[in-house]
Amino acid sequence: MLQVPGDGSIIKEDNVTHSFCGLACVGWMYQKIKDSFFLILGTHTCAHFLQNALGMMIFAKPRFGIALLEEGDLSKHEPSLEEIIAEIKADHNPSVIFLLSSCTPEVMKVDFKGLADHLATPEVPVLFVPASGLVYNFTQAEDSVLHALVPFCPQAPAGEKSVVFLGSVNDATADDLRAEAEELGIKVGGFLPESRFEHMPAIGPDTVLAPIQPYLSRVAVKLERERGARTLHSLFPFGPDGTRAFWEDLAKMFGIEVDLSDREKAAWEKIRRQTDLLKGKQVFLTADTMMELPLARFLHSAGAEVMECSSAYINKKFHARELQALEGVRVVEQPNFHRQLEDIKRERPDMVVTSLMTANPFVGQGFIVKWSMEFMLMSIHGWSGVFTLANMFVSPFDRRSALPEFDRDVWLEGVMPSAEKVS
Amino acid sequence: MRLAFWLYEGTALHGISRITNSMKGVHTVYHAPQGDDYITATYTMLERTPEFPALSISVVRGRDLAQGVSRLPATLQQVEHHYHPELTVIAPSCSTALLQEDLRQLAAHSGVAQEKLMVYAVNPFRVTENEAADGLFTELVKRYAANGQKSAVPAVNLLGFTSLGFHLKANLTSLRRMLSTLGVKVNVVAPWGAGIADLARLPEAWLNIAPYHEIGRTAAEYLEQEFAMPAVYDTPIGVEPTLRWLRSIIEKLNEVGAGCGASPISMPALHDFSLDGMSAPSGVPWFARTADMESFSNKKAFVFADATTTVAMVKFLRDELGMKVVGAGTYLERDADWVRRELEGYLPGELMVTDRFQDVAKVIEDELPDLVCGTQMERHSCRKLDIPCMVVSPPTHIENHLLGYYPFFGFDGADVIADRVYLSCKLGLEKHLIDFFGDAGLEYEDGDAADETGVAAAAANGHSPAGGSTEGEGGMVWTGEAETMLKKVPFFVRKKVRKNTETFAMEQGEGEVTVEVFRRAKDSLGG
Repeated sequence: MLQVPGDGSIIKEDNVTHSFCGLACVGWMYQKIKDSFFLILGTHTCAHFLQNALGMMIFAKPRFGIALLEEGDLSKHEPSLEEIIAEIKADHNPSVIFLLSSCTPEVMKVDFKGLADHLATPEVPVLFVPASGLVYNFTQAEDSVLHALVPFCPQAPAGEKSVVFLGSVNDATADDLRAEAEELGIKVGGFLPESRFEHMPAIGPDTVLAPIQPYLSRVAVKLERERGARTLHSLFPFGPDGTRAFWEDLAKMFGIEVDLSDREKAAWEKIRRQTDLLKGKQVFLTADTMMELPLARFLHSAGAEVMECSSAYINKKFHARELQALEGVRVVEQPNFHRQLEDIKRERPDMVVTSLMTANPFVGQGFIVKWSMEFMLMSIHGWSGVFTLANMFVSPFDRRSALPEFDRDVWLEGVMPSAEKVS
Repeated sequence: MRLAFWLYEGTALHGISRITNSMKGVHTVYHAPQGDDYITATYTMLERTPEFPALSISVVRGRDLAQGVSRLPATLQQVEHHYHPELTVIAPSCSTALLQEDLRQLAAHSGVAQEKLMVYAVNPFRVTENEAADGLFTELVKRYAANGQKSAVPAVNLLGFTSLGFHLKANLTSLRRMLSTLGVKVNVVAPWGAGIADLARLPEAWLNIAPYHEIGRTAAEYLEQEFAMPAVYDTPIGVEPTLRWLRSIIEKLNEVGAGCGASPISMPALHDFSLDGMSAPSGVPWFARTADMESFSNKKAFVFADATTTVAMVKFLRDELGMKVVGAGTYLERDADWVRRELEGYLPGELMVTDRFQDVAKVIEDELPDLVCGTQMERHSCRKLDIPCMVVSPPTHIENHLLGYYPFFGFDGADVIADRVYLSCKLGLEKHLIDFFGDAGLEYEDGDAADETGVAAAAANGHSPAGGSTEGEGGMVWTGEAETMLKKVPFFVRKKVRKNTETFAMEQGEGEVTVEVFRRAKDSLGG
């Protein structure tokens, strides 16, 4: 049952800062789809971002690169990528090339769709992926990648009832989710994306789409519209509460009634030490990866007090159940970081969940901090992820109490002269 | 348009933020799309800043563009309200530069006092990190440096020390130690840790020290012209350059001092510069003359770095350690002429000037030097080639931002560099002797240190695959006997011999390297 909470429960502010643009998705997508190449049409800034912020190193042959727009290219009508595409094909022999947009060519009004179509061949499709920071935040461009893959998902015939999980996870997590589903008697049609371009799952009118990442609303809507598939609207499978709701609701869509309350109870029991510690702890989540809603909901269920949960983008329909579970919690979309900083300094939460850009400064202010990006790189899905998930929130507390007292006046002297008072 | 995977220099925005992140009371506002403030992470992660870098973004969304809305005035108001900076530098990004918005006018709409705002509208498609950083720093010095009372005691400014600089703090410490030994006061270090008021009192110093060719030099030149301040531009890397640097400082300070009747400074006893105050200030001159370092004469080095470091490292390796420099290059094209002039007579060929790491890797692979001094990218290239590499220049990696005192400048720095060269290079005489006489008892060393193909080492250890043949790097198959024969070649040339033999075999149309092919190759290639 969909219950859309009223407007009043979400506060909207003016922007998200201290987070990445959509190009960040290259970091995990090129590793997930192993026969792909990710080509970004962009500037020096895009290249500098990928090599710095994501800590990406070029080992043997990276399967991503930047078609670098230089000053002379700005006046050209349409960028010509033929030679670059030929170079990529010769060096990497990919099954598919994703062509990602970035801010500058979007301002130049490059016709990306036309460009991709022009470069595509029957052997090697070139797929346009909108990813620029003018529109897309961090994880949202994964949605664009999946969007582009839809035409390569075979049509599943009517009557073939199965689940397709939406979202890229590593193979171990995928195996776990598949096994769980099968144990419940749910037929698994596959994952979007699969690890190889040729193996994208079949999707049809009797496919149930089960989103396992909270930032993939557009591809779900597209598949509903184009294939008549239905989307599971439940909690996302994080934590004992989320995992139980996810599987029970998914089973229901297959006409299977299951009661996983014992399983949920056992899972909470398994992380009793962690939840005992989290109970009553005040946690503040700044906007970064768009995983904030389910993470806050897990913390809330675990007994923590979520002081604020903010996210770059909230979809009232796609996130309905999470929002419902967060009733009473301050939820902010497009938060203003300056305001958050003031609130945090005043309200002194016990923990701040925040981005790579702001983590160390918050620690410097004496806060206990968890990097939000880490949640994207750890196996925290489903029953098997419960322990890891709970520990990720607890380990900063454990670590803090394991270290001796810290006198910031002594130990931070000279570390950042620019932040010291003007003499 | 070209396909790029990785770039040496950062963007103009990065250069701008390196200056402002160094300074007190200065904020930067990027007028840029979401995500362009990723630069903040380079400071919070690499420098582990315990405070928020003074960098804000005035986000440009696609929707704003369509509606003709700009958030810049509101962002400037928020920055003013929350942080009260003395100065806010407004910088465009690639995409907003294309839009050709009038940032000055937009900034004026914020209502923030004009004298507290500065639009630094470089063309981000043309200008990169170092040029932007040097340019902005110079602008700031021009804007704030004011005539003031000259310091009563000899005092210097240290210019160009910038956030994310290579071993920045250790270099600064090394220079401070030497200046304090000379009895010279440091008036201002800038931009690192300087506020606007500090820039204003730059002319109070007697002398400017600008050791980086990339950043700070232009500002020192301006101060020389406008305020008649002498400057020392040399880089004190290596023992002899450090001595020259000290003498030059003494000489210039004494010229200024003579004008105001100050008593002249003289060079202290050199042991005064040492850490304990009673030893030689550096171990390098003796180290370089020791018998086992004789083997350095045969060692070949390749240097690829920024301009300052390329010049200094080539000279240090050749002049002070007596190594052979087989090649050098820089990714800073605009400084290439200066590097060429400085290195005249030092290089066997042309200076390599490129910002494509693949080209650099290719040269390293062709030369197979014994040591590469490079950036983190060369470290990667060399790891693949199993060539020792030490990182001497930005761009750096988190591994180059260490806690300990590892300066490159001054006497202390000469010791640090020599130690690193020593530890990086495969060791000299001892290893050569043992290896020259065979590998008995040392098989693990081959698998471990040389690790040419892994397969080859396994073969030599008797784990050879069926038929006793192995596959080399180039996909060429070596018979067991040929492999054994290759093992008899001293390890330090083995890799090269393998490669040359394979090339020879390929040219001769041989499908595999047999003992016979190997012999012919040796004959043909001259042993």
